[in-house]
Amino acid sequence: MDSSVALIQASSGLERLMAGSVPGVIKDSTVAQISAFLYYEASVLSKLTSNAEFKNLFKTTIFNQIEKDFGQYVDAQARTKPRSLHHVYEWNKTGNPTARLFDLYLIDTGGLSFRIGRDFKLSKSAVPSKNKKQKRRYVFANKASVMEEGMPLVIRPKSAERLVFELDGATVFMPKGTSVTVKRPGGRAATNQFALTYGRFFGGQLVNSSIKSSGFQRLFNAKIAKALDVPINIKKVQYSFSAGKIRMQADAALSSSFGGSL
Amino acid sequence: MTVDYKIDAMFELRKFLWTQLKLTGLFDQDDYYSDNLGSEIIPIIPVQQLPEMDQFLNGKKHIVYDKIGLSYEENWLICCEKVLFTIYSTDITEIYEIRNLMTDLFRRMDESAKDVNSLKTTNKLIFHNVMIVETTPIEPSLELQGFLSTDVILEVKYSRVTDRLGRFA
Repeated sequence: MDSSVALIQASSGLERLMAGSVPGVIKDSTVAQISAFLYYEASVLSKLTSNAEFKNLFKTTIFNQIEKDFGQYVDAQARTKPRSLHHVYEWNKTGNPTARLFDLYLIDTGGLSFRIGRDFKLSKSAVPSKNKKQKRRYVFANKASVMEEGMPLVIRPKSAERLVFELDGATVFMPKGTSVTVKRPGGRAATNQFALTYGRFFGGQLVNSSIKSSGFQRLFNAKIAKALDVPINIKKVQYSFSAGKIRMQADAALSSSFGGSL
Repeated sequence: MTVDYKIDAMFELRKFLWTQLKLTGLFDQDDYYSDNLGSEIIPIIPVQQLPEMDQFLNGKKHIVYDKIGLSYEENWLICCEKVLFTIYSTDITEIYEIRNLMTDLFRRMDESAKDVNSLKTTNKLIFHNVMIVETTPIEPSLELQGFLSTDVILEVKYSRVTDRLGRFA
């Protein structure tokens, strides 16, 4: 049985004690008040894992930190190993955080769990060329995904009648209408390297370190302490408490604690 | 009094590592003597300087480093940095030796930080924690042909001596 369900069931026994003393018996607020205290705390805790604001805060706080740390990790790896990871950045900007062509996204899987996916962004900058005469600029939009997969690339003349390019300082004129196949665009060293880097980050200690440094635990402690602070009406001496009202107060306290932005 | 902004935790860590590499005999400083400069070059180089050093380090074991990230949390007195060290050598045994030395030096958190503090060259920095976060398998380098390489990632927590206002002293 889920512990929050068990807590609801156990605390439901307190409802009877909060309802007040039976007429004719000496009135005593102690039992009702202690029961209300416990009922409130149990309500907050049992509603915690199903509270939308809490779930959202939990996921986004951790995901944002992972996203930041993963980005910095790939940037550093790319600066150190440009041949392997140049393809996941805009041309000539390897390791530059503003030129990344990769992205992480959060996949909600219900409850407090979530998965993280990765995606490539389209390149927007023109393919650099040393040929100053070249007027047309080409944007290789799927640069990152094609080079990561190591997919061969066929280049055909589109508007011109033939391909003309420079190779080792010499100008090559291809026969009319023929194409050129690039077997490994981005070089052999780039194939599957982003996947490998991703696997190392998420398969090792780095992701755990990221979760720790997200500060979620500290944030959680502060917010749950606020939510568990018993409302003033329960602190006042009363002979009877409404279970429904206490449950609503628990809901409101959770929303107030976890609903705010970080 | 002017503040010395050249002080950097990374430099202290680098000096500490170089001292240990020499003391343990894993590196011979004479192998890294530059006739042009008239002095030894520390073969632990920032990635930004790699192109300049490429020829000098040709065939020689060396370490390239880069900061992964630097952040202050709510406690702005303590800085947390992650540093990536990539060890290059043509000999797999040498890489094992260097990696094992780094593991030995930096796996003990507070105790490792104490060691760095005992050899630091400035009293403006105080190291609190040094730990190994990750090591990767040794594999042929895709960057430097003929070399093998491995990564060691360290997490370093330190603070800098401040004035009454919390600025660097």
